[in-house]
Amino acid sequence: MNNGTPLEDYVISARNLRAFYGNQEALKGVGCQVAGRRVTSLIGPSGCGKSTFLRCLNRMNDRIPGFRIDGDLRIMGADPYAKGADLMKLRRQVGMVFQKPNPFPMTIFENVAIGPKLHYGLKGSELEGVVEEALKEAALWGEVRDVLTKSGLSLSGGQQQRLCIARMLAVRPEVLLMDEPCSALDPISTAKIEELIVALKERHTLLVVTHNLQQAERISDYTAFFMFGELVEYGQSTQLFGSPVKSETQDYVSGRFG
Amino acid sequence: MATVIDKAKREGLEARDAQRARSSRRYLGLLTGAAVVTFLLIVGIIGTILIKGLPSINWAFLSDLPREGMTAGGIWPMIRGSLLLMFGTMLVVLPVGVLGGIYMAEYAGESRFVGLIRSSLVSLAATPSIVYGLFGLAVFVLAWKLGTSLMAGWLTLALFSLPVVIITTESAIRAVPESLVEGGLALGLSKGQTIRKIVLPNAASGIATGIVLSTGRAAGEAPPILLTAGIYYSTGQLEMNLETLRKPVANLPYHLAEGYRQGGVIPESIIWGTCVVLMGLVLLINLGAILVRARSRARSLQS
Repeated sequence: MNNGTPLEDYVISARNLRAFYGNQEALKGVGCQVAGRRVTSLIGPSGCGKSTFLRCLNRMNDRIPGFRIDGDLRIMGADPYAKGADLMKLRRQVGMVFQKPNPFPMTIFENVAIGPKLHYGLKGSELEGVVEEALKEAALWGEVRDVLTKSGLSLSGGQQQRLCIARMLAVRPEVLLMDEPCSALDPISTAKIEELIVALKERHTLLVVTHNLQQAERISDYTAFFMFGELVEYGQSTQLFGSPVKSETQDYVSGRFG
Repeated sequence: MATVIDKAKREGLEARDAQRARSSRRYLGLLTGAAVVTFLLIVGIIGTILIKGLPSINWAFLSDLPREGMTAGGIWPMIRGSLLLMFGTMLVVLPVGVLGGIYMAEYAGESRFVGLIRSSLVSLAATPSIVYGLFGLAVFVLAWKLGTSLMAGWLTLALFSLPVVIITTESAIRAVPESLVEGGLALGLSKGQTIRKIVLPNAASGIATGIVLSTGRAAGEAPPILLTAGIYYSTGQLEMNLETLRKPVANLPYHLAEGYRQGGVIPESIIWGTCVVLMGLVLLINLGAILVRARSRARSLQS
C-alpha cells in the first residue's frame, strides 16, 4: 500500500533494454530513468516501441509467444524480470489502463472492488470505503454514487475509462501505465482524463503513451521520443517540444512526419 | 483526383453495374431456393410426426406404465429413463468437460501434441454414436463388469457428449475478449483468479449452452444405449435406489428403435406418440439452453 513516504528520485530505470518478438527487435537498447511522482509521456510513430516499453514495465508482454527481453530494468529498485520475481506483486505496484476502456461486465461497484477484495481480502464497509475513495480519486464518484449496482458497461466511454482508472487505483499501485488512454474518447472525456492524469501525479508516477503531441505537451513533465525501437530523445517536455536537440525529434514534433 | 472519365468508359461501367445487379439477383434466388427447401423439409418432418403422433398424446400416455406386453398403456418408464440417463450424463460431463475445455483454452498451449488432441476431439465429435456404443459395451459393460446398466449408459453417453462439450467450452472461453483478460491480469490477479472471476462468468452462457445441447442430443441417441443401458421389456417397477444404477433402464430412443423393429406387433400410434414425446423433450432442453443464453446476455448488459 502507498503510505505517502517520499520515494527515491527515479522510480524506473532501464539500461540497454532490448526486447524481441521472435526475431524482430522491438527495443534496441533503451536507457532511461523515470522520475517519481511525475508524468512522463512516451511519443513516437506507430511501431516505434513505445507501447512495447510500457508493457515491459508490468510484464504484460509475457503473454506474447516468442517475446523476450534483455538488458537491465529496475522498478522501485527491483528487477521485475528477475528469477522468482513476484509477477502479481509487480502488477499490484504497477497498474495499467488500456487504449480501449475494458470494464468487466459486472456492476460498477464490483469493477472497483474486485482488486482490493482479492488482494487484500477487504469486505463490508472497509471495502466500500476503498471503492468510494478510488472512485473519488478517479473523479467518477459524483457521477456513479447512486448507480453503483448498475453494470459498468452502462457508462459512457469516458466514464468507462475513468472506471478502469478507479479499478486500478483501488489496488493502490505506485506506478500507473496508460496506453493511449484517450484515443477512443471524445474531446470532453479526453479533457477530463487529462485533468485526472495531472491530479494523479501527486501520489503516483505516471507513464502515458500518446499519439497526441499537444496532449503530451499539456500533461507531462517529461517526454520520451521513440523511433525504430530506439529512444531518440528524452527530457523535460518544455525542452523536448520547445527546442529539441535531435533533428528527428524536431521533424516529428513539428509534424513533418509520423 | 478530378480526372475525367471519358464517355466510353462510363458506358462500360454502366453495363458492368447492370450485370452485377443481375448476378446479385441470381444469387439471391439461389439462396432463397435453398432456404425454402430446408424449410419445407423441416416442416414436412415435424408435420408428419405431429399429425401421426399427437392423437396418441394424453396424460395417461405420459404417466402410465405399458400394458399387455408393451402393446398398450403409457410410456412413463421410458420418459423417466431418458431423464435419468440425461441427468447422469450431465453430472459426468459437467466437471470433466468444463475442466477439459478450460485446460485446452488456457493451459494446453500450442504444441504439435495439443494440435493432435484438438483434431482428435473434432473427429470424436463427428464419430457415429454406435462406435461409442461398442466402446461402452467393451469397456464399461464387459471389462469394468458394470453390465448393461444405467451407470454404463451414463458413462457411454458422457463420452459421446464430451468432445462437443470440451470444444464448445474452449471456444466460449476463447470468445471472451482478450481485453478483459488483460484487464484482470493488469490488476495483479493470478491466472487462476482471472479465469475464475472474469473469464468463466463471461463464458458461462456459452458453456452452459454447449452442455445442455450436447446432453440433449445424447438423450435422443439410440445406438450408445442400445448396447450399454437399454432394456425394452420394462418390468414397470419404478423404485429408485442404489440398485437402479446397476440395472438397465427403459428409455425413449430405445423404445422407438425396438418398437419399430418388432414390425407390426406394437401399434403405430404408440411409436408415433413416442416420437412426439422424444422430440418434445429435446425441444424443451434446447429451449432451456436458449433461456440460459438470453438471461445471461441480459444480465451482462443490464443497466
